[in-house]
Amino acid sequence: MERILLTSDSGPESFAAYLAQGGYRAWQRVVREGKPEVVLAEVQASGLRGRGGAAFPVGRKWQFAVETPAERKYVVANGGEDEPGSHKDRLLMEHYPHKVLEGLMLASYAIGAREAFLYVNREFTEAIASLERAIAEAQEAGYLGERLFGTDYSLTVRLHRAPTTYVAGEDSAALESLEGKEALPRQKPPYPATHGLYGMPTVVNNVETLANVPAIVARGAAWYRTIGTPDCPGTMLFTTMERVRRPGVYELPFGTPLRYLYEECAGGLADPRPLRAILPGGPSSGFLKPDALDLPLEYQAFREAGSALGCGVMTFYPEGTCLVEEVLRIAEFFAAESCGQCPACQMETQQLVRILQQVRDGKASAALLGTVDRVIQFARGKGFCSLINMPAPPIQSALRLFPEDFQYHLEHGTCPP
Amino acid sequence: METEKHYVLVCQNVDCLSRGADKLIRQLQERLADCPTCEVKPYMCFGACQDGPNIVLYPERVWYAGVKESDIEDIVQSVKGGPRVARLEEGVDPSLKALIFELLDAGLF
Repeated sequence: MERILLTSDSGPESFAAYLAQGGYRAWQRVVREGKPEVVLAEVQASGLRGRGGAAFPVGRKWQFAVETPAERKYVVANGGEDEPGSHKDRLLMEHYPHKVLEGLMLASYAIGAREAFLYVNREFTEAIASLERAIAEAQEAGYLGERLFGTDYSLTVRLHRAPTTYVAGEDSAALESLEGKEALPRQKPPYPATHGLYGMPTVVNNVETLANVPAIVARGAAWYRTIGTPDCPGTMLFTTMERVRRPGVYELPFGTPLRYLYEECAGGLADPRPLRAILPGGPSSGFLKPDALDLPLEYQAFREAGSALGCGVMTFYPEGTCLVEEVLRIAEFFAAESCGQCPACQMETQQLVRILQQVRDGKASAALLGTVDRVIQFARGKGFCSLINMPAPPIQSALRLFPEDFQYHLEHGTCPP
Repeated sequence: METEKHYVLVCQNVDCLSRGADKLIRQLQERLADCPTCEVKPYMCFGACQDGPNIVLYPERVWYAGVKESDIEDIVQSVKGGPRVARLEEGVDPSLKALIFELLDAGLF
C-alpha cells in the first residue's frame, strides 16, 4: 500500500532525501503563484481531518481563520503528544521533520500567517534537535525568511518547548504557553481559529495533520481521495506499544480492518491467552470486545460501535486482565491531570477514583457503583476543555461490557481469578 | 460509613486548602476530640471550590460554605446537636448538594 507519511525505509528522512522526493516543490510553486486560496481549496477538497483526536475537517478550521479579519494570523503545529501511549507525532518530528515543516509552512501561507510555531513536548529532545536542524536547512535554502522567492511574503518559524502535562496538549492551553503563561485551557468559545494567540486567528493543527499537507498540495486532492474512504480519506498512524509482539507505529489507509493492524502489523498479543478487550483510541475511548477486530479503521464505524479512534493509540488486553483495575488506572490518570480550573472536573475526577477504589476493595454497594453515572452526568459539559467528558467512555463501556469484573470486586474485594 | 456516627467532612483539595482548610480540619479535630460519636475526616472534593472552604455534616446533610476560623466554635456546637449555622448554609448549587448527599447515602466515604 502507498505510504504518505512513513516513506523512509532507512531511518530519518534527510533534507536531501526530502528534496529528492519532490519536497518543497509545492512550497516554491504556491508562493511564486501568489494564490493562497488555491492551497486552501486543495486542502478543503481533500477532506483531510485532524489527527490530534477530534478529527475536525482541516479545511473548515483554516476557513475560520481566513474569514476572520485581523492584522496578524498564526499557525501552531501541535507536537505536545501528551496522550499516554501515543508515539506517532514524536516519530514524525524525529524522522520526517521536513514533512511537518513544509506542512506548517503551507498552512501558514494558506491563511496569511507570517509567523508559525512548532509546539514540541520539551522531553522530546531528539525531535527538537531534528526540527531545529530542519528549520535551519529550510532557511539556508531560502525557503524560510524574508521576501521569499522575490515575493513580499515572509515567514518565520519558531520552536517552543512545551510543558509535559496532559492539558498542555490541548489547543488553547498551548496558546497560553506560547504567550508565556501556564498551559491551562481557555474557556471556549471563542475558538483559536477566530480568537487565538494574542487574540488573533490561529490555526492549531496536530503534527500528523500538517505532515499530510505537502503531499496533498503537490499531488492534488483527487489523488488523496483515492486512498482511504470517502468519509475518511488518506492514511492514519496507529500506535500500539504494549502487550503486542511487534509494538510500533503503523501507517494504514482508513477503512483497513482493525484485524489487519492487530494481526499482520502488530503480530497479535505476546501473551498466549486469548484477546479479551480492546481500547482503540486511548484512555478517553470506550472499551470494545474482540468482535471489534472486524471493524474498519474509520471514525464513524468506531463511533457507532460505542467507541472512538481518537489519535490512534491502540491497546489490546488478554484474558486475565481485570477491567476494574484498568478503569481505576484510567480514572486516576484523569484525576491527576485535571488542571484545577473547573470545580466540576475536580469533583468528578476525584469522586470517580474514590468510588472505583471502594469498588475494587469490596467496600462498595451496587448502589455506590451506580452513582458513577450520576457523577458523570452532573459534570458533563461543565469544564473549559474536554477532559471533564473523558472518564465517561472507558468507565461506562467497561461497566456495560464487563459487568462480571465489577460484580466480583463488589462481592470479594479482589480481581476475578 | 458507620451508623450513629456524626461525620464532619472537611474538603482538603487545592482550592479549599488555599483558603485555610488545613487549619480548619486541625481545629475541628481538636475541638471534637471529646466527642466519641464524632469523626472529622478529610474529603476530596465537593466541587464547590469557588464557595470554599466547604464542610459537610453527614448524616445531618448540612453543608457549610465559605467557612472561616471564626466560625469553628459555632460549627462545633452545631455538630454536638446545637443550632445549625444558617449564615454558612447559603450559596451552594442545590443540584451539586443533591449529588454529594446521594454519593454519601450510597456509601462513599
